[in-house]
Amino acid sequence: MLNVKEGFKIMGTGNDSILDAYLYETNTLLEQLDSIVLAAEEQDTFTQEDINTIFRIMHTIKGSSAMMEYNSIMTIAHRVEDLFSIIRDKSIEIVPEEKRPALFELLFQAIDFFRQEVEHIENGQPLTENIDSLLQKVNTLIQQIQGGDASAEASASPEGDAAPAAGRPGYPFALQIFFDEGCGMENVRALMLVNSIRDLCSDSDFQFSPADVATDPNTAGQIVDSGFMLYFKRKEDRDSAVHAVTGAGSVRTYQAFDAPQEDPKPTEPPQPATAAPVAATPVPSPAPVSKEPATAPPKSPTAKSEPAAHHRESLISVNLSKLDQLAAVVGEIVITESMVTSSPDLKGLKLDAFTKSARQLRKLTDELQDVSMSLRMVPVSGTFQKMHRIVRDMCKKLNKQAKLTLVGEDTEVDKTIVDSISDPIMHIVRNSMDHGIEENVQDRIDAGKDPVGEIVLSARHTGSEVIIEISDDGQGVNYEATLNKAIRSGIASPDADYSHKDILNFLMAPGFSTNTEVTEYSGRGVGMDVVKRNVEDVGGTVTITSEPGKGMTTTLKIPLTMAIMDGMEVSVGSSIFTIPIHNIRQSFRVTDEDLIHDAAGGELFKCMGSFYPVVRMRDRYHLQEGCTQIRDGILIWLEAGELSYCLFVDELLGEQQVVVKPLPSYLSRFNIKQSGIAGCTILGDGNISIILDVANLYTPV
Amino acid sequence: MAQDALLLEDALIDSNSLSSPAEPSTEKYMLFLSDGLLFGVKAEYVVEIITNHTITPLPLVPDYIFGIINLRGQIIPIVDMRLLLGHAPAQDTCIIILNIQDTRVGILVDSVQRMLDIERASILPAPAQNAQDMVSGMCSLEDGQTMLVFDCPQILTHT
Repeated sequence: MLNVKEGFKIMGTGNDSILDAYLYETNTLLEQLDSIVLAAEEQDTFTQEDINTIFRIMHTIKGSSAMMEYNSIMTIAHRVEDLFSIIRDKSIEIVPEEKRPALFELLFQAIDFFRQEVEHIENGQPLTENIDSLLQKVNTLIQQIQGGDASAEASASPEGDAAPAAGRPGYPFALQIFFDEGCGMENVRALMLVNSIRDLCSDSDFQFSPADVATDPNTAGQIVDSGFMLYFKRKEDRDSAVHAVTGAGSVRTYQAFDAPQEDPKPTEPPQPATAAPVAATPVPSPAPVSKEPATAPPKSPTAKSEPAAHHRESLISVNLSKLDQLAAVVGEIVITESMVTSSPDLKGLKLDAFTKSARQLRKLTDELQDVSMSLRMVPVSGTFQKMHRIVRDMCKKLNKQAKLTLVGEDTEVDKTIVDSISDPIMHIVRNSMDHGIEENVQDRIDAGKDPVGEIVLSARHTGSEVIIEISDDGQGVNYEATLNKAIRSGIASPDADYSHKDILNFLMAPGFSTNTEVTEYSGRGVGMDVVKRNVEDVGGTVTITSEPGKGMTTTLKIPLTMAIMDGMEVSVGSSIFTIPIHNIRQSFRVTDEDLIHDAAGGELFKCMGSFYPVVRMRDRYHLQEGCTQIRDGILIWLEAGELSYCLFVDELLGEQQVVVKPLPSYLSRFNIKQSGIAGCTILGDGNISIILDVANLYTPV
Repeated sequence: MAQDALLLEDALIDSNSLSSPAEPSTEKYMLFLSDGLLFGVKAEYVVEIITNHTITPLPLVPDYIFGIINLRGQIIPIVDMRLLLGHAPAQDTCIIILNIQDTRVGILVDSVQRMLDIERASILPAPAQNAQDMVSGMCSLEDGQTMLVFDCPQILTHT
């Protein structure tokens, strides 16, 4: 009774985590599936490994969905599993060339279906009830590849493993051996058996299956499931082998099968003309390798499949909020450590042992900080891989030819940043496919380019930033058309002169779309301006470069992590502000004479041939204290994206690595963001410094 | 208006009785002074009382947002009670940290007095003209003073 109760309790409280695990697992599997199918489509065939992996994935999805009672997913997964059970048993050759595109298309549809259903589950919506059309498609394909062959139907059923009688060409006399249950090391026992039979007849007179018992320990499971098969040329050999088998230890039971040569029985796998290569395959194993795919590491042609295989043992999934918490605590420790070791109470004391320990502590806290930061870092490959699918789908839909090349997909970025750049990258890739790659293949050939367009997605580190570039070799931006469009949408003025850089910036202005028609993929009003905003939200910048006829490149510069950054501490009166180092171009000590006054009373500073507005921190923030004389303070030249100006402060206090803390949500209603405050940080002495948001601190009129 | 205040009071009592069904008819209040006015704040909102903490001013916010403090790594906004009520500012140093619906806010007051058990029934609704002054009720104390019930949730919506 007690047990039952406890069981219920576990179910009750653990439900959410079971659902989380299900969603995580299913999403991971779907991603793996997607990459396998994409790679396979390129080759126009599946390797045996792919087939096994797909079969296994479908099996897992079917099983876990059944457990969660998601019937629609289970039903589809079940039928696709059936389909692959057929393909697995008879190799991909069963699917004739002309049916392959349909097979790939079907798989993509199934993946999309699963994704959609998983999304429904995540959003707490009911599952799709009507799955008939997809189910029908799977069933049709199964029927088609079986070619209406009645016997094929039989072996296609999940009970297909009841066909041990399958003889082999040239070895009609079979012997199926089962070892004692739980005796262990079945493969070794089988090998010993084989060795003793070798004493009775020559190697060429018999074969056995699984053939690799000597080398592959996984065959043990297979032997437990479907028995160890021996095939003999002559009946006499088998008879003598039976004696050897009965003499061997641990043999539970054996059974002899006779298969007339060159005359397959109806129960055997059929060998219709279309499937001729099956017969030609040297060692077609009649026993289903049900255990093998489950234990063998799944391999797919994509580069990332190896780590995926290790998922199970060496990776655990941790709630992101726990990592946030960890990072926060570690940040505190680092600050507290410096508060303790530089405490004013220690001034003037000579403490050798203390200093030594303090140094050790500093080393350890630094290490701790590095480790806790690295926990949040994930490679961008997951996001990048998704783009394969988008390029593929859009090629089909738009009838264009293009390939996607990934560079530096191992580059690691903070998890929150990866999540927030996924949509922008997708949007840019779609833009490139839609607007960049030429409509007409002939245009490309005429321009001396490869008829197949190329989109390169690259990621690389530079110090504290990650640079992600999306470039295509398409037609590039048509400056004239873009400017006309900008004028039509009221973004640009018809009389002004614009540089190419200005025109490219119109692409990122709100409410801009170059394509006159709204297509399925781009031009829905949400344009590059959303991309720009998303990237800026994580502290990054977007720039576009283009060369007519050669293509365009979109560059996203994104900070590695939002939690820690290099900042310059500046003071104004008694207030201390932190300016992100990457925004600072240069600092100057100037006098009144260096400043130029414009008509509106604003101050300008001339530097490197350009004029920059001067913003006085004291006036901007209505502070009570601070320098008013230009010669007493210092001018810092700041840059954020396209914005560039000079900030006047009292003093530069020094560079420091700071832990960024968001301001309390209570304050967000006071429009803190608009006043150029990005957050705050705690200084070594426990005081707070406000981190400035250079992009919002000054708005040009 | 008085009707509304009554309803609010009812709701408060309800939520209290939910959290502790066997609770008697009294509630603990903490009394504090701000510019000569005696306020009472429900003890359940009070996290701690700190004095002489460095407050970092925030630029470009309403004047009653005095600034932010670093309380053991937590950044907490500080509201100046005097300015919030439209009174003249003073050099107050006493901060009461409140936890209102999981939002931590500190209020800057003159001084904290004492804790007191107050009969729920003795709290009367605030007169209508006081509704916007962060007061949800009033109560006459035994020593003849009048306690204003500080309306904690309202500080979250006050702009």
